[in-house]
Amino acid sequence: MENQPVSPSRRRFFLTWILGGLGVVLAAAAGWPVWRYLAPRKGAGEGEKVTVPRKQVPLGGAHFFTFRGHPAVVLQEKAGEFNALTAVCTHLGCIVKWQTDKGEFLCPCHGGRFSAEGKVLGGPPPKPLESYPVSVQADSIVIG
Amino acid sequence: MSWRKRIYDWVDLRLGVQDLLEQNLTKYLLPRNINAWYTLGAVLITLFVLQFATGILLLIHYVPDQAEAFESVTRIMNDVPYGWLIRYLHVVGSNLIVIALLLHMFSVLFMKSYYRPREVTWLSGFILFNLALALCLTGYLLPWSQLSFWATTVATDAAGAIPVIGDAVVRFLRGGPMVGDVTLGRFFALHVMGLPLLLGLVVGLHLFCVRRAGISRPPFGPDYEPWEPRGSFRHQEHPDGIPFFPNYTAKDLGMICFFLAALLAVVIYAPWLFLPPDSLEPADPFVTPEHIKPEWYFLWAYQTLKIFPSKVLGLGVQGALMTFLALLPFLDRGPERRPAQRPLFVTCFVLGILIIVGISIWGHYS
Amino acid sequence: MSLAKSFLFCLLILAAPAVLFAQDTVCIQCHGAQSGRLGEPVKLWRGSIHAANGISCHDCHGGDPTDFGNAMNPAKGFLGAPENDAIPDFCGRCHVGVKEDYLQSAHGQALGHGGPQCVTCHGNHRVVAASPDLINPRDCTRCHTYGRAEEIKSAVVATDSMISGLEKDLTRLHRLGIDTKELKGKIFSLRNEFHRLFHSVEVEKVRRQTAGFQKRLGKIRGSISTIEDRLARRKLLGGIAVALLVFGGALALLIYKSYREEE
Repeated sequence: MENQPVSPSRRRFFLTWILGGLGVVLAAAAGWPVWRYLAPRKGAGEGEKVTVPRKQVPLGGAHFFTFRGHPAVVLQEKAGEFNALTAVCTHLGCIVKWQTDKGEFLCPCHGGRFSAEGKVLGGPPPKPLESYPVSVQADSIVIG
Repeated sequence: MSWRKRIYDWVDLRLGVQDLLEQNLTKYLLPRNINAWYTLGAVLITLFVLQFATGILLLIHYVPDQAEAFESVTRIMNDVPYGWLIRYLHVVGSNLIVIALLLHMFSVLFMKSYYRPREVTWLSGFILFNLALALCLTGYLLPWSQLSFWATTVATDAAGAIPVIGDAVVRFLRGGPMVGDVTLGRFFALHVMGLPLLLGLVVGLHLFCVRRAGISRPPFGPDYEPWEPRGSFRHQEHPDGIPFFPNYTAKDLGMICFFLAALLAVVIYAPWLFLPPDSLEPADPFVTPEHIKPEWYFLWAYQTLKIFPSKVLGLGVQGALMTFLALLPFLDRGPERRPAQRPLFVTCFVLGILIIVGISIWGHYS
Repeated sequence: MSLAKSFLFCLLILAAPAVLFAQDTVCIQCHGAQSGRLGEPVKLWRGSIHAANGISCHDCHGGDPTDFGNAMNPAKGFLGAPENDAIPDFCGRCHVGVKEDYLQSAHGQALGHGGPQCVTCHGNHRVVAASPDLINPRDCTRCHTYGRAEEIKSAVVATDSMISGLEKDLTRLHRLGIDTKELKGKIFSLRNEFHRLFHSVEVEKVRRQTAGFQKRLGKIRGSISTIEDRLARRKLLGGIAVALLVFGGALALLIYKSYREEE
């Protein structure tokens, strides 16, 4: 303990630094709830399987549905054989259309074409459409 | 030269910020005997900013529709991370703002800071008080609980006492004969955009008036001298005073911290204080809960309407009181500001507060 | 009154724990103004759990509650006061499960030969929320010794107090803004199932099923504990934040003081 009293300005310097540190802590303590409040959370649909009634997928046709928060498509090329893919074009994110007569996907935005298995047949898309595991049950198809 | 100084000089050359900062911060001198009551302005600004911020956050999840409003608030309170914190801060914050406003007004009355040349400051402050109460009233309805619905019904009913146009006024306020979706629509628009815009503008005016006229000296102490501009405008100076920054801003910061601590303490330990049980049930237009009454800051008005045999008279009395308050600087014109030398005023002041508190307590238990 | 309408009102009871005030029907208007035997039921009913949930005279006795002329008209479903043996059917129009278990029980089998019916234990107009207090020496010994009644009471009391405890906790949590609707619904349905179980007046049956009930109650208790842990954490962290703010305020004021000392 010093003999002479600490000068006000020295005391103030010391106090200001503590207050500054406290301010940072409190700002972080205030920012954390706001961040958590605003940050998008994992939606309930993510990670879950989706069941589609079998009769909704016509032979040679496609049925569009929502899978893990984005549009997807399930096809029945041959009887009893089902294929599930993402319906989001890998070029710039538009939703592809199924062309029953040609048996392929066409993206309306820039003309990208995909096969029924999702392979790129032409146009700007850089990658194939991601496919999802499908299990067939009596009267429904489980994707995921 | 450090890069910080370089940037500062660049801006200063173009906008003269050095001069501005000095005039308003370091060379802006406040009276030596300034007291803690003068921090309430900074406290109120902080609380209003907090209301604004929590309000915007609530807007992300709140749905202003009769069928979904209550449910959206329940979601905020239970499902959204820390939604309970944002909502409680908003609710408790609004009540704390009313308390701080009243304290601020009382200190101005007691020190007669509304005296010439600060009448415009007083008037803009009075308008702010009313705007804040209007924000409270409109905000109250939004959760669409039993309390929201029926307290709004009671509050808007009061306008029916106005002679001749009373019923039309009630219909206009509600958007229809009864409180309903139309009321929610207009109260939401007012609460979220209309009133905050007005509040912002009037706060700007109020702060401008405060800064332009200069800070008044507290009328205490042996070396008090009355001051007023004669003939032409003069900013009140305190050459032997203390700098606003960093001296008084430290005190501002201290009081702000204490108020925030009080706010958080209520939010964490007694959130039910300003949320009676009726606020937890969804609105039912066919069932009026027993003992419905408005929030504590409107109880005096509510009870006054009940005790006067004629509603017109009750409303008239309140109108007269508010008008008297608004015009106080023009009615109380004497230059004496020291409370010790204003016995009549101080008596009326104390009596007035006691009466309003008494009537409010009566309103609470009746 | 039709079965569909009574079923609808039963649903209303289960789905609307909010307090509903019954408007004054013509039944109340007339009988409420009378003294003696005819006015008594209104006074009694006002203190009942039926009144608190908006179940009024016509909901049990039928008739048109809006029209004085047809209030007691059998064509409008008016049933009058039921005879002793018809009481279980009368109450059982809404309390279906209880009626089923009761009729199969020793009590139900004794109906018409001096056995009890609903009103014997629950009263008729001043019906309050059921609790184990209805099983007591004074009331049960009207017909037999208390021994069996005491046994079954001790079998239900533990579970029943668990249920009451959980209900109290949920009310407290609701007051703090927690959404307790789902849990309240679970407890309400558990409570009804458990109270229905008693009406078989078979001690062994109650004892066998108690474990199952207590397990389900345990799950609800678990959910409540999770919520309470969350609330306790809020209080702790919030308390630290409040303390830090007070400390910060004190620091700021000390800084201010240091400036004033320099003047």
